[in-house]
Amino acid sequence: MALLEVEDLRVAFGNSTAVDGVSFTVEEGKIVGLVGESGCGKSVTSLAVMGLLPKGRGPKRSKQPVQVAAAEPAGGVVKAAVAAPQAVPATGGRSRGGGADVSGRAVFDGTDLLTLTPSAMRRRRGKDIAMVFQDPLSSLNPVVPVGRQITEVLERHRGLKGAKANQEAANLLDRVGIPDPTRRLKEYPHQLSGGMRQRVLIAIAVACAPRLLIADEPTTALDVTIQAQILELLKDLVDHEGTALLMITHDLGVVAGMCDSVNVLYSGRVVESAPVRELFARPTHPYTIGLLGSIPKLDLPIHEPLTPIRGSIADVIRWRDGCAFAPRCDRVAEACVEGEPALVGSLHAHRCVLAEEIA
Amino acid sequence: MLRYTVKRLLQLAVALLGLTLLLFAWFKALPGGPENMLLPENATDQQREALRASLGLDEPIWAQYADFVGRAVRLDFGSSLSSGRPIATELADRLPATIELSLAAMLIAVGLGIPLGYLAAKRRGTWLDFAAVSGSLLGTCIPIFFLAAMLKVVFAQELGLLPTTFRLSAGSTYTEVTGLRVFDGLITGEFDVAWDAVVHLVLPAIALSSIPLAVIVRITRASVLDVVGEDYVRTADAKGLKPSVIRGRHVMRNAMLPIATIIGLLLGSLFAGAVLTESVFSFGGIGSFVYQATTERDYPALMGFILVIAVFYVVINLLVDLSYGLLDPRVRVRS
Ligand SMILES: Nc1ncnc2c1ncn2[C@@H]1O[C@H](COP(=O)(O)OP(=O)(O)OP(=O)(O)O)[C@@H](O)[C@H]1O
Ligand code: SF4
Ligand SMILES: [Mg+2]
Repeated sequence: MALLEVEDLRVAFGNSTAVDGVSFTVEEGKIVGLVGESGCGKSVTSLAVMGLLPKGRGPKRSKQPVQVAAAEPAGGVVKAAVAAPQAVPATGGRSRGGGADVSGRAVFDGTDLLTLTPSAMRRRRGKDIAMVFQDPLSSLNPVVPVGRQITEVLERHRGLKGAKANQEAANLLDRVGIPDPTRRLKEYPHQLSGGMRQRVLIAIAVACAPRLLIADEPTTALDVTIQAQILELLKDLVDHEGTALLMITHDLGVVAGMCDSVNVLYSGRVVESAPVRELFARPTHPYTIGLLGSIPKLDLPIHEPLTPIRGSIADVIRWRDGCAFAPRCDRVAEACVEGEPALVGSLHAHRCVLAEEIA
Repeated sequence: MLRYTVKRLLQLAVALLGLTLLLFAWFKALPGGPENMLLPENATDQQREALRASLGLDEPIWAQYADFVGRAVRLDFGSSLSSGRPIATELADRLPATIELSLAAMLIAVGLGIPLGYLAAKRRGTWLDFAAVSGSLLGTCIPIFFLAAMLKVVFAQELGLLPTTFRLSAGSTYTEVTGLRVFDGLITGEFDVAWDAVVHLVLPAIALSSIPLAVIVRITRASVLDVVGEDYVRTADAKGLKPSVIRGRHVMRNAMLPIATIIGLLLGSLFAGAVLTESVFSFGGIGSFVYQATTERDYPALMGFILVIAVFYVVINLLVDLSYGLLDPRVRVRS
């Protein structure tokens, strides 16, 4: 059985759906990528698994949206559907107000995390599952020495205190490649460089030898040279400890460099998933093909234009009405908006009615 | 931290120097010159001459200023026009009462305001939040004088629960050490005196605490709301820490930064509120002294008061700045 099995995960903020039925699995000790453009629901998915979303007041209607038979008359359906886009707020950040309504399953080692009580979840967070966030400066407490920010998690989950905890914290800093760890323990986040801060966050995350590590764009806030070092460090740690890693990124280069398998997310749903080599060799979903086409390649002549995907993620129709990518897809056909396209295949799965023709 | 402290001390010296300049200018600008204000209206020319000479008013202006600063440093403000006693003595007699009252009021405001503001933020949008916010709005717009009088009428005069006036019951004996009577009672072992002083403090302190309490509730609420949305609080949550640890180490330690600044500013402004509260409860502090000095145009007394209050204000601000340096490691390095 897989270490983490996410099944039909849905997250809504009020009336807007951020994650719309995501399913994927993470096998013990593997590195799994979650890719997709900004706003497609990567962070919300990971926060839902971690139980870190603000609590909602419960859905207004039934939990599982009723499947609507999309039997609109044919002619010009695409246009009509586009004219009624789903409300997708353009605010990238976390809103401070309304909570999230989460449904589906996130089975970790046999337990559905979404059914755990808050205190039971707190006993697992930081111990069995840990997370590394995107912005290392804002993710560390500015008024607490970094040493304390490490020892508090050792104290909580491993019962280490005082000198023992300090010693272990120094060991951890040493392991993530921070020189002179005993001195660094007493320093504050603003006294460290960006790369070092991210190393501290990684040290905190691996402090209790978690079985699953989730890294949400761990390098986007860093210099390019530092990025490679941090990725190398992450790969090293998980390889060494046999930790599974869920790597969230919008950088296909990162995926190619370190992941075993990858899930491509579009508008809150997985549209293609495959082992990494397979995905790069035979991308099947037009969105994945578009993503691969919009990566600059060093070996292309300079005048060869990149082919960006037209439109934006805000041009979207509801999955239950048809393919959400239809408004931006070059191959769109009428079949695409006649109800929800199913996820087809197991090892290499895709959610596109024309996949057979494309492949 | 040392450099930070030295820098703050220098700033303090500059502020005080500016203050003496202002006061000196004010003193010189009094209508008809200082001697008119310092002497009774029917004074003879001889008296005026004598005073001018004794005040050094015939000296060059810089010498006068130097003399003014010199006397201020020696706490020599002259004598009160109304009582004839040295102003420094008058102030020294009354200052402890005001300090005690202000500290008591601040204790109430901080002790109630921070937990209330925190709860309001945590239960944002509930009746508790609503009550805290509207209550603090009310707190800031009820005049202190009115509140003090109401409290006195209801709790002291009608219900008879608490004393109406003064700092101790009539006829009680008391050993003075610092002049802060609760404190003195505790250190000399006169616990009955300490308790008596507390009982006398309750109503005036509540009246005086209304505005700082309201301000602290609101600033705490806003500050906590700000901090709980920060990424590092999410990190703390992701570590699976206990809620009490998240609250103390991660939320409140950061939320305290703006609250500490406001507390400092409020402490300074409490002296102004004390003038009104003290007069309602005949609480023999500096407030009632100023009230009297103002109505009787006792300029030397007022000047001494302003200087002392200003020094207090500046020193409190220094303490706040230093505590800020302790609370926020970024300040220590940046400055
Ligand atoms: N707290 C919230 N309240 C309301 N909407 C939210 C909240 N958090 C996220 N969303 C919305 O959910 C959607 C998915 O957001 P998410 O942060 O998961 O995107 P992402 O894939 O991580 O993008 P990025 O690459 O920019 O990090 C977005 O439309 C976002 O506006
Ligand atoms: S289902 Fe149709 S619209 Fe959607 S990706 Fe496939 S071809 Fe494009
Ligand atoms: Mg994100």
